[in-house]
Amino acid sequence: MITFENVTKRYAGGTTAVDGLNLEVPAGKTMVLVGPSGCGKTTSLRMINRLVEPTEGHVLLDGRDIQTANPSALRRGIGYVIQHTGLFPHRTIEDNIATVPLLCGWTKATARRRARELMELVGLDGAMARRYPHQLSGGQQQRVGVARALAADPPVLLMDEPFSAVDPIVRASLQDELIRLQAELRKTVVLVTHDVEEAIKVGDLVAVFRPGGRLAQVDTPERLLGSPRDEYVTDFVGFDRGIRRLSFFAAAGLDLRSAAVLPLETTAAQAAGVASGEGEPWVLAVDAKRLPVGWLSLADLELAPASVTLADLPMAGYGHTFRPETDSLRAALDATVLSRTGRAVAVDAEGRVVGVTSYERMRAAIQAAEQAAEQRHAREVADHGLVS
Amino acid sequence: MIWSWIPQNLGLIEQLTLQNAYLGIVSALFGLVISVPLGVACARWSVLYPPVLSVTSALYAVPSLALFVVLIAYTGLSDLTVIIALTLFSLCVLVPNVVDGLRSVPEPVRQAATAMGFGTLRRLWQVELPVAIPVIIAGMRVATVSSISLASLGQLIGVSCLGYLFIDGLQRDFPTEIFLGIGLVVILALVADGALLAIRRLLTPWQRRARATAAPPSVLTPRQPAGQRSAQASAGAAS
Repeated sequence: MITFENVTKRYAGGTTAVDGLNLEVPAGKTMVLVGPSGCGKTTSLRMINRLVEPTEGHVLLDGRDIQTANPSALRRGIGYVIQHTGLFPHRTIEDNIATVPLLCGWTKATARRRARELMELVGLDGAMARRYPHQLSGGQQQRVGVARALAADPPVLLMDEPFSAVDPIVRASLQDELIRLQAELRKTVVLVTHDVEEAIKVGDLVAVFRPGGRLAQVDTPERLLGSPRDEYVTDFVGFDRGIRRLSFFAAAGLDLRSAAVLPLETTAAQAAGVASGEGEPWVLAVDAKRLPVGWLSLADLELAPASVTLADLPMAGYGHTFRPETDSLRAALDATVLSRTGRAVAVDAEGRVVGVTSYERMRAAIQAAEQAAEQRHAREVADHGLVS
Repeated sequence: MIWSWIPQNLGLIEQLTLQNAYLGIVSALFGLVISVPLGVACARWSVLYPPVLSVTSALYAVPSLALFVVLIAYTGLSDLTVIIALTLFSLCVLVPNVVDGLRSVPEPVRQAATAMGFGTLRRLWQVELPVAIPVIIAGMRVATVSSISLASLGQLIGVSCLGYLFIDGLQRDFPTEIFLGIGLVVILALVADGALLAIRRLLTPWQRRARATAAPPSVLTPRQPAGQRSAQASAGAAS
């Protein structure tokens, strides 16, 4: 756990980079510090490994004031990843990764073996071990940077705008990789970014900074989107936060209907009967394995010759599907919006149809999820005295 | 031209060449040994750099013969006199190159090294100096070539070297010796330069491979050091 206690950093010129920061980073969680440039987020990060010393206040690591630790020893226990990677151009990839183990006195063979393990962990081809940093792409270099930071298995990982120098596609894959690694490794991660989307995507907790080095709000990404504390945070969190917040609600609770999901052999008359009985304007045809085939409207079914089967009638494409067990309400809403029928098809892992949702049922599910989130938050505040 | 003089005096020629090479190379090496700590200090405490630069430039401006004469009072008509003078001259090229070399280390690299727990000395030895090697060796090439060429002046105070061939050739009105002397100084300088180039390639495999694959420039590429330019400019002034 990392604790900032009334930490202030003032520079000789009189500028205050960080102003009375109180912040707790729970062990094993990812805390993202986010804010506009010059808000003190990077300065705060660098105070954790003593690249910057606070003017006032204390930074504690697991309850111990880091001011009392030897800086080099402290830093060997804290991984550090920066925007421009800072890889050593004169060392091979494996020797770059082995840096901290070698500093800690491991033998060269052990350190290199560890480097190979880490290359695999971060998804780098072992054939790159003997190459030099220049020979790798930006995304690969950043993976090496992460591997190097993790080499001595430090409990804490600091990341200063780690993904902002790579293109958006590579950035998204590196973010996914970080989330995957963190699920596996459970480090205490502090990540600095100016990109609020990134903060919401990778953070367990997000600390929003104001210009002048003061905290505006510390919360879970879902709370930040759902209840920004003031106008500044609302503006900072940005456009369509309501829809983005849906990413944090599971689609599992959706009310799915499957009465109007019918096999291809059904006749037009039977299908029209079912649809009008259910009050459904659309019927979804599925094949023998229950894989979706397409939509038929009730109006078309009523006009078609009664004995024709669904297989012989023209259908509208079923569009995007979603998986209620793993997807969020945002994915479900997206599939609904993209569907020509205003209905989205829910499928299981094998792609078999489990049911159909609609705008009306989406709205009910969103309201229920928001209420549940409010209640959960109220309970947490009551239990832990958490004030946000 | 009487070329038969050469095979008849091979022993003398060999001895003069080796002596000249010794004077030039040892001076450049001493220059390096002094310049590295001096350059490190100047890079770390930038207030030191302007006065150090003034002193090394002033030393370089002293005519070599005059410096020999001053030193004779202390070290006599010996190799040491020549070596001390040439070492002092080489600082003018080497110190700026060490400083530029260290400044060519990208800031993220320096910061990452500190953040990973390198102490100041270890960072210097394991990160900064290795990254600065190409620029430092560029300075060494200029310093060595100019030392080898200046060393031939040692003959003026009786220290045997290829300068003997110029003076003896002049006194006897025997151009073969003069041309041979010039040729040998040039060849010696080229050989030393080639050797340093080979050493650099050996010490910086990361640069060689980077060029071989023609990787796109990245933030990690050390910028084109100004030191190479300044080193060559001052070498031009020397000759």
